[in-house]
Amino acid sequence: MRTVTLTRLVHQVREVGFGERTSFADGVLTVSPEQARGVLADEALASVELSWVSPGQSARIVKVLDAVEPRSKGPGGGGIFPGFVGPARPQGSGETHVLRGATVVTAGFLPRAQEALVDLSGPAAALSPLGATHNLVVEFTPAQGAPWERVDAALRRGALRLAAALAEASLDAEPDAVEEFPSPSAGARGGDRPRIGVVTNLQTQGSFKDVFVYGRSFGAGLPTLLDPGELDDGAVVSGQFGHPALKNPTFLHQNHPVVAELRRRHGTDVEFAGLVICPEPVEQGAKELISLFAARVCAAAGFDAAIVTKEGGGNADADVALKMDALVDLGIEPVGLYAEMAGVDGTGPSVVVAPERATAMVSTGNYDHLLQLPEMERAYGGEQFALVKAPATASFEVPTAVVYCALSPLGWGRIAARSG
Amino acid sequence: MARIVHYINQFFAGVGGEDSAGAGPVLLEGPAGPGRRLAELVAPEHEIVATVWCGDDVAADKVDEILGLVRSADPDLVVAGPAFTSGRYGLACARVVAAAHQAGVASVASMHEDNPGLDEAGAAAVVASGEVARRMAPSLERLAAGVGRLLAGHTLTAEDGRIGKAARLTVVTDDNAATRAVDLALVRLGGDAAATEIPLPRFDRVTPAAPVADASTVMLALVSEGGLVVADNPDGLESARATKWLRYPLENRDALAAGDYMSVHGGFSTAWANEDPHRILPLDAVRELEAEGAIGGLLGEYFVTTGNGTSVANARRFGVEWAADLRRSGARAAILTAT
Amino acid sequence: MERAGIPTAVLCNLVSIAERVGAPRIVRTRGIPYPTGDPSLDADAEKRWRRQLVDCALEALQTAVHEPTVFEPGETRVAAAAGVDHA
Repeated sequence: MRTVTLTRLVHQVREVGFGERTSFADGVLTVSPEQARGVLADEALASVELSWVSPGQSARIVKVLDAVEPRSKGPGGGGIFPGFVGPARPQGSGETHVLRGATVVTAGFLPRAQEALVDLSGPAAALSPLGATHNLVVEFTPAQGAPWERVDAALRRGALRLAAALAEASLDAEPDAVEEFPSPSAGARGGDRPRIGVVTNLQTQGSFKDVFVYGRSFGAGLPTLLDPGELDDGAVVSGQFGHPALKNPTFLHQNHPVVAELRRRHGTDVEFAGLVICPEPVEQGAKELISLFAARVCAAAGFDAAIVTKEGGGNADADVALKMDALVDLGIEPVGLYAEMAGVDGTGPSVVVAPERATAMVSTGNYDHLLQLPEMERAYGGEQFALVKAPATASFEVPTAVVYCALSPLGWGRIAARSG
Repeated sequence: MARIVHYINQFFAGVGGEDSAGAGPVLLEGPAGPGRRLAELVAPEHEIVATVWCGDDVAADKVDEILGLVRSADPDLVVAGPAFTSGRYGLACARVVAAAHQAGVASVASMHEDNPGLDEAGAAAVVASGEVARRMAPSLERLAAGVGRLLAGHTLTAEDGRIGKAARLTVVTDDNAATRAVDLALVRLGGDAAATEIPLPRFDRVTPAAPVADASTVMLALVSEGGLVVADNPDGLESARATKWLRYPLENRDALAAGDYMSVHGGFSTAWANEDPHRILPLDAVRELEAEGAIGGLLGEYFVTTGNGTSVANARRFGVEWAADLRRSGARAAILTAT
Repeated sequence: MERAGIPTAVLCNLVSIAERVGAPRIVRTRGIPYPTGDPSLDADAEKRWRRQLVDCALEALQTAVHEPTVFEPGETRVAAAAGVDHA
């Protein structure tokens, strides 16, 4: 039986800065602003500004859009981010270089983007993955008359190209770690270990609320068994800017937490059975079709249990609920990751759409839990934090809902709600 | 066999009505009043070993004394009520169970969700009772079920009829949610059919209104949660977590011009609605109905909010306010467009 | 609103949510972003669809229900009773 292995050559980024040449050596990532601007250049963008924003700084990023981990498979990208940087071809095998501890982050206004925030210090820092990474923040000014869709597309392509270019600087460096992941094999029985897979729903609601697979919107897609290695190589790219705390940026697709956990335990107490990606249709009939179809794919791949992840709020809950019920009906044990909207004092009903027959749900926290955020010396991405109509550097009280990835539906977070 | 002490008021203890509202607290042996039926329901596993009653006029201020008597009977569990909608009695029950809970004794009260005392139960559990004493039988059954679950070591949830501030508190966990999800999958595969981190929700029963008898005479209202506001959103309707609703005029309008209106709803792509606002508010079709005489008329304004992560409390409030406003206006039927 | 004696037809696409929260009169629409629309149709056809939805809502408002009930837009007796001819 053919087994495919994805090997990650991990380079730990410990220090960052700007310099004449982009380089990576001994844990120090240096970026040439001139080269970076060249990579980001697009007629839809009048100008871009680059800043390194690092953990522990008195700094806040507002209007956060996407975050990408620098990765490369070879000179020119070597196939990374297929459909955007590399040609649209299946990836997920061979070697992939990773600059761990750094991200490329786009920040600024786009229509229909719900304002997301990251603090690099204080109580909110631990609530976002970007609170612990060196973030190369790309702020931008749209070109006069450029349609917003073009601005969005330019930022996306630019950020991915830049991420590939940064990682390219590490191709010759000795990795700090080598991580090997054989692809899950459908149907194989590995002893008595239960076969557990993951079903990941991708938000596909059109402009500014879309997710791309091989460079194309997944909106018309059917549930697909995807080699998790493809996530490593950037086959799934986020173009979705709603629901800040519930966002799945490209960074978290590249580092999918449930995939990581199943890989970690594969051969110990579970058999990693596979990954199924699905669109999140906006229409009930299509939601039902996709959910029933997804359950069949899981059954065909021999899942004993499936962990279901989503992207979005109550609308996305409906997709999780339908999938969980469809899985239960086929004898597959579902577990759904849900964020709760329990109100400020936690006494509201938690879940808008719960499954009717399935009941196993993991809590990723309470949307409405209030956070007191301190004043910051510097802010990036915007002058104001529009939600509270205050300067972006101010101290203010906000719900957990605004912190980027705080309620991570992919399971990144370490907060939950419990009945008191 | 668990020892239960039951708290009730002077009336249910059979002592008297308002004339005895200033008496007590008094400790009695065994069950009394509705406690007798409750004792039957929790037997044989558990026993009501004592009852404490107190007059409604003084109970709320004598909580320490009441608790002292309760604890002198060495309870494993303190039960209070059912208080239905009686405010003084409900307040006393809530304070008694709150105090017991604080003192480390498991407790549960029973009252209607509208009882003003509900908010004072602190961290103690309260299960819903019926509205009036005529509903004693089913109220006791639910209370008995809750007693059983508590004594078996469970935390009561909405499924048990738990009401009031049963808060979902945010905690930091050692393991991330991905790890907990895999753990939960293994627990479920191992045969535990109930394990979950989120107990299932329950919503209100909505009693349907009587249907419109003669549509040709009724005034219809158009309302929406699709976030459709006049262009530029001058009144600042939120795109999510709406805290308010707005009204805009429809009088003398047969159509909504694109460009004059916009949707600020953050939960879906608003391009289609902005292209044609009738996709959210069907004014053109309703004007046709009016012209044909199929309806008596259309209310001269529409109500709108954004249904994107709206808290249930706010949504409930908007509904109550819309209902009151519509009744005042004479509208007696509504179309609500939801997104 | 129902409790206040104002029958309310909820036009929505996620019918299961409406049923779950107990809305008694539910009319099924074709998409979340366009409850009373359908952009896949040309302008005239979309207007006719919208009229069908509204007719269905009116029928729901005139129907006694006891629990969440879903009404599917289609031919309605209301339009016929009003003597209106739809193309």
